[in-house]
Amino acid sequence: MIAQQMVSGLAAGSLYALTALGLVLIFKNTDVVNFAQGDFGMVAAFVALMAISQFKVPFVLATLVAIVTTAILAVVVDRLTIRPMKNASMLSLMIATLGVYMILHGVAGAIWGRDTKAFPSPLPSDPVSVNGVVIGQGHLWILAFGFIISAVLFVFFRYTTAGLAMRATAEDRMAARLMGVNVSRIFALTWGVSGALAAVAGILLAPLVYLSPNMMSDVLVKAYAAAVLGGFGSLPGAIVGGLFIGVAENLAGEFISTELRTTFAFVLIVVVLAVRPTGVFGRRIQAKV
Amino acid sequence: MTAFRLHHLLWLVPLLVVLVFLPSFTTTFITYLLSLICIYVIVALGINILTGYTGQMSVGHAGFLAIGAYTSARLITDLGAPFWVGMLVAGLASGIVGFLLGIPALRLSGAYLSTATLGFGLAVEQILQNMDSVSGGRAGLSVPKPSLAGFVLDDRSYFYFVLAVTIVMSLLALSILRSSVGRAFIALRDSEIAAQAMGISLARYKTLAFTMSAFYTGIAGALFASLVRFLAPENFNMWLSIDFLTMIVIGGLASVLGSVIGGIFMVTVPYVLGELQDLSFILMGAALLVVLLFMPGGISAFLSRLLDLVTGRTTAKDIEQHVAKPMGQLGRLPEQSQSANAPASGTDLLGVKES
Amino acid sequence: MLKLSDVETSYGKIKALKGVSMEVPERSIVALLGANGAGKTTVLRTISGVVHPLNGTIELWGKRIDRVPAERIVGMGVAHVPEGRHVFAGLSVLENLKMGAYGRKDKSNIKGDLDRVTDYFPILGKRRSQPAGTLSGGEQQMLAISRALMARPKLLLLDEPSLGIAPKVITEIFSIIRTINVEEKTTILLVEQNAFLALAIAHYGATCSKLETSCFQAQLRSSSRVTR
Repeated sequence: MIAQQMVSGLAAGSLYALTALGLVLIFKNTDVVNFAQGDFGMVAAFVALMAISQFKVPFVLATLVAIVTTAILAVVVDRLTIRPMKNASMLSLMIATLGVYMILHGVAGAIWGRDTKAFPSPLPSDPVSVNGVVIGQGHLWILAFGFIISAVLFVFFRYTTAGLAMRATAEDRMAARLMGVNVSRIFALTWGVSGALAAVAGILLAPLVYLSPNMMSDVLVKAYAAAVLGGFGSLPGAIVGGLFIGVAENLAGEFISTELRTTFAFVLIVVVLAVRPTGVFGRRIQAKV
Repeated sequence: MTAFRLHHLLWLVPLLVVLVFLPSFTTTFITYLLSLICIYVIVALGINILTGYTGQMSVGHAGFLAIGAYTSARLITDLGAPFWVGMLVAGLASGIVGFLLGIPALRLSGAYLSTATLGFGLAVEQILQNMDSVSGGRAGLSVPKPSLAGFVLDDRSYFYFVLAVTIVMSLLALSILRSSVGRAFIALRDSEIAAQAMGISLARYKTLAFTMSAFYTGIAGALFASLVRFLAPENFNMWLSIDFLTMIVIGGLASVLGSVIGGIFMVTVPYVLGELQDLSFILMGAALLVVLLFMPGGISAFLSRLLDLVTGRTTAKDIEQHVAKPMGQLGRLPEQSQSANAPASGTDLLGVKES
Repeated sequence: MLKLSDVETSYGKIKALKGVSMEVPERSIVALLGANGAGKTTVLRTISGVVHPLNGTIELWGKRIDRVPAERIVGMGVAHVPEGRHVFAGLSVLENLKMGAYGRKDKSNIKGDLDRVTDYFPILGKRRSQPAGTLSGGEQQMLAISRALMARPKLLLLDEPSLGIAPKVITEIFSIIRTINVEEKTTILLVEQNAFLALAIAHYGATCSKLETSCFQAQLRSSSRVTR
């Protein structure tokens, strides 16, 4: 039983982690806490569904289309809303993304409707039994993709020039410019990559739930908590935070109360924050005076 | 934007006249909406104290509203407490919870604080859903018609009561925010470090802001319970908290007038759009962005400037300057905007780096 | 090589430079001296495009560069070591150096340049995989200079390289600045509060004064070229 809960917790945690990675990336590079991150994933799931059911596009191609569309959407959101407020306080920027969140929600509701829709997945989803532990294959797919994407990101940031430039920009924007980095392009890249991450999370989640404008709300909230737990600024922190919350809420659901699992997850986070106000992996925030 | 200026009366007096006489001519539903507006205004005042004045973002105020609503409802139904006692206790209960939440929030800011408040809101909703003894389980919780001094209030008299409470709460907010307490809040918002250097106690004023904000929202919750007279936990969800935040930004942060306008906006727009829920979402989001980008200080500041124009205090050019300037100055002093080219990060006081 | 004519720069409404004119001859070391707040740092920031001048012109080999954004200036052969070093604290020493070569087209020569740069400051070679934030102040300054050299600049702008650094290390850094000038044939514009130190290695001196915020330049006696 515990093993089963662990696996489904890790699977849920992978989704939180993927979404949290996008949140952290945007925050590190552009100082924006992006409430619309979850809805990028929701849009991606709908775009993929539309491509599959209306335009009869093969699944893999539909997925790619959805990822690219979402990445572009994220870049456009940055250009139209965030960039024009470049001197804004963090609070204003956060609220601006809340506006984007509402608009995406409304647009999705208007285009695709509020009734829930099932998402077809070509991946097998029957449960398999490993050493007596029954595991949904859907969960395994999520785990696998979560792992692959984390690895790709790791390589990207470690070994590519663009990844290095992104990290440098996050560290010190002016110094990065002096090195010849076009910061504006890095911002676009950041939003694009984050949008793509959200898209992957949305499409991975889609077969397990019904599609609706609200489908990512719960994931966003948990991803947000995961990012905070991981120190909002650390990519490994986001992954660990996401997995931790996934497992913790599943175990809490198993041993304490299914209905109160979210509450327990948050109580845990508030306790962690009370001890370490900048999360487990967080560096101390430098006060800008 | 903080100071109450005499010409605000030009807006408030007609507004009050309309509010006082309108219920006599309209349906009970309109009266209901007017009461709801008043309740939203009280919430807006509360959240403005925390977010607008003190700069602490809360995405969990629906939780305080729920605490107020359920406290009052339970006192009235279980203990037969008079309605006004329920309301005051609701405010106090919510205020105490706000104080308790303010303690861990002391060390938090930005994303960390909004996560904690978000979690608080979700937790309240979820706990209520699972405490049937409080929330009445699936059946929900019915609240009797409010009565004062033995008289059961009908819709219209209840509206007048709510309006009176709203006016009292507004005046109270105005006088507190114009006192040294209000200045301490603003100082903390603009720079915690500078405020502390001036001897303003961070712990004291941040928890005070949380407590006051929760108190206001708790009072509003009690009024809400007796207005809708049926409570279900899922009505106090994250969206409601987001609506609250949205309304004060659109109305005007750190402004009592802004709270009033925000409350009116947030109740009226979804009502006018009725079934067009998606359009309402889009409009709210767009309104939020328009305000952030083009209307620093929200609708209230915009109207004030418009009024200044009409009364000849300023020229059209001044307005253009204010309106055209992309905003982003919520909770910031204007001088900071010029540092666009200054090193964005890594430099701090004395060039000392913490790591 | 570099010529500033009547450059005026302001931050918002505050004027920082009022008509600065100066010239930096090729292969020279020019020391820009002056009190705190005289605008020395702003001169460098204006040259490297971090801020743009309101009026006046900046020419590099006769070509106007006063409207070129900072990220393109480095490609034109001007590297700026900003005040306060600004190393990428979370990146390793090696990654910092690679960032220095970010804009270069000749990727194949970068490896050799890494060795050459660490020859000047061997300590950086030892610390290559360490996060730059863990280095001492002097080491960070060495890294900041080396990182700028990785761009193979023709003109190196150095802002207060002695700030907050132990005296012994300062001597080392300054003698290497001179070596760079000689061996790499890099022109250097040096902003320094410590006039003795700066004039010891400079060919030309220029002063910024608060009164006019303009610069006056004079060739130094040949004796002042002696180091140490």
